[in-house]
Amino acid sequence: MATPITLETGGTVWKLHVKAGDEVTAGQEVFILEVMKMEVPYEAPSAGRVTAIHIAEGDVVAEGQTALVLS
Amino acid sequence: MTGEARTVSTMSWEKETREIEARRQLAQQQGGDDGIARQHAKGRLTIRERIDALVDPHSFDEIGRGAGAPEHGPNGELTGFTPANFVLGFARIDGRRVVVGGEDFTIKGGSPSPAGLRKSVYTEDLALQYKLPLVRLHEGAGGSVGGSGGPSLPAPVFAPSRFRSVAQTLKQVPVASAALGAVAGLPAARLVASHFSVMSESTAQILVAGPKVVERAMGEKRSKEELGGAAVHTRNGTVDNGAPDEPATLEQIRQFLSFMPDNVHHLAPVRACDDPADRAEDMLLDIVPRERRRAYDMRRVIHAVVDQNSFFEIGRGYGRSQITGLARLNGQPVGVWGNDCRQLAGSMTADGAQKAQRFIDLCETFHIPIVALVDEPGFMIGSKAEQEATIRHGARTVLAAASSTVPWASVMVRRSFGVAQAAHYGPEAYILAWPSAESGPLPVEGGVAVAFHREIAAAADPEARRRELEEQLAQRQSPFPRAEALAVHELIDPRETRPMLCRWIDRVQPLLPNLLPPQSG
Repeated sequence: MATPITLETGGTVWKLHVKAGDEVTAGQEVFILEVMKMEVPYEAPSAGRVTAIHIAEGDVVAEGQTALVLS
Repeated sequence: MTGEARTVSTMSWEKETREIEARRQLAQQQGGDDGIARQHAKGRLTIRERIDALVDPHSFDEIGRGAGAPEHGPNGELTGFTPANFVLGFARIDGRRVVVGGEDFTIKGGSPSPAGLRKSVYTEDLALQYKLPLVRLHEGAGGSVGGSGGPSLPAPVFAPSRFRSVAQTLKQVPVASAALGAVAGLPAARLVASHFSVMSESTAQILVAGPKVVERAMGEKRSKEELGGAAVHTRNGTVDNGAPDEPATLEQIRQFLSFMPDNVHHLAPVRACDDPADRAEDMLLDIVPRERRRAYDMRRVIHAVVDQNSFFEIGRGYGRSQITGLARLNGQPVGVWGNDCRQLAGSMTADGAQKAQRFIDLCETFHIPIVALVDEPGFMIGSKAEQEATIRHGARTVLAAASSTVPWASVMVRRSFGVAQAAHYGPEAYILAWPSAESGPLPVEGGVAVAFHREIAAAADPEARRRELEEQLAQRQSPFPRAEALAVHELIDPRETRPMLCRWIDRVQPLLPNLLPPQSG
């Protein structure tokens, strides 16, 4: 089952820690958004493989956008 | 003897009692099989099904079952009965008595019939008379242009305002309301005239006016869902919460009421608690990152501190830099307010301020102690924030906190800056500080930019000098001087937060009865 990670807020993608095909564990930090000078980390909600990435470092992103998808 | 018995029989009221029973049976049929089938086809429950789903089994004790319009045959015999299209009565939720009512959408689309309107308006009076929590389950529109077929005379000039009792309930009893289908006009106003409102995301819309009126007046073509669906109204504060469907919506009403007293003359019910008061969660030790710009999840802090699974969040969809809700500490209901630094750094926005003010008012009305988990960088800044009148809404929240009479415990989790921070500390608050606490007139970054702007501009590498200065000043923000000066009650290990708050709640509980208003005759 595909699990999308959706952005809670807009901001700028500061660091992207994974690439397509990577295996991640539940709770693993996968990327960091910069929002109002705060670094907002996003974690994998469950273990799985990264099947799609829709963001890149430096991207200005919007709330509700799907950042990446885990299998 | 037999002759005597026959005489009694013909003299009895059997004919009328049979008709009473017949009318009751017909009233139970609501808008008839077709009306009910139409309602079900739209994926919605009828008002009677909603009440059954909400209240304890067999506890519904209806009021005004005979209200409605009879139909008679040529010989005066009863041929039909259309019940008032508002169902009202007493019931119990988790064993506690409430008043519950709602429009019957299977009859005339919930638009009030004369008897329906009368029952609908009586809802608030009943809650006030019996001093009971009020639950309204809304689906329907206001009046219709053709009138409701009622008396032809308009209401007299001296008639009391229909909204007077609505306003009074908000000062006297907990009011919880749900939007379960399209809710427009008067029902929409009553929906939001509540302490807690929730909408079913799959079946409800809330509208001042529906698509036809909007198109006629403004030329704007929008569906009901586009105008007033959950995507709009759970994000703008019209309703407090959304829920995926009708049963989940009703479950939230039950949860909300579990924290509420019957009325303002009683205290919120304390539950037995099997979560140890001295439970200390290790994760609290490192949940706040040492890197000052790094965000963390305040909801994890809340869940670690309050009684397990007791946190009921209110208003998650709007004013999102602030987190508000109800929870329990050692069984005692408390209001919980935290900043969410993942959202606009947790700053006090115009909508966040309005949400926080509503939260403070709720706790004040029902004498519920407040726990604030503070990470407040200050009012939101920038042109959008100025346009939204942030300072006006923010100052109101600060004043609401300053006027509060319930006990407060405020935990300085990280930042506590500017005027906005004052909103997080009620009078005589019990103040705990984590080692990560920072406070002052404004955060280091802003202060450096203002106070050292010439020095920074003159430096060979201005950006490096700025960071150096910021780092130097941040280092000076040691947590110990606050404790040394008794500027906080206690500097604590974050793991001590729950034990300390449970001891605080134990101390303030005996003071709560003093907050109850005198009973008036």
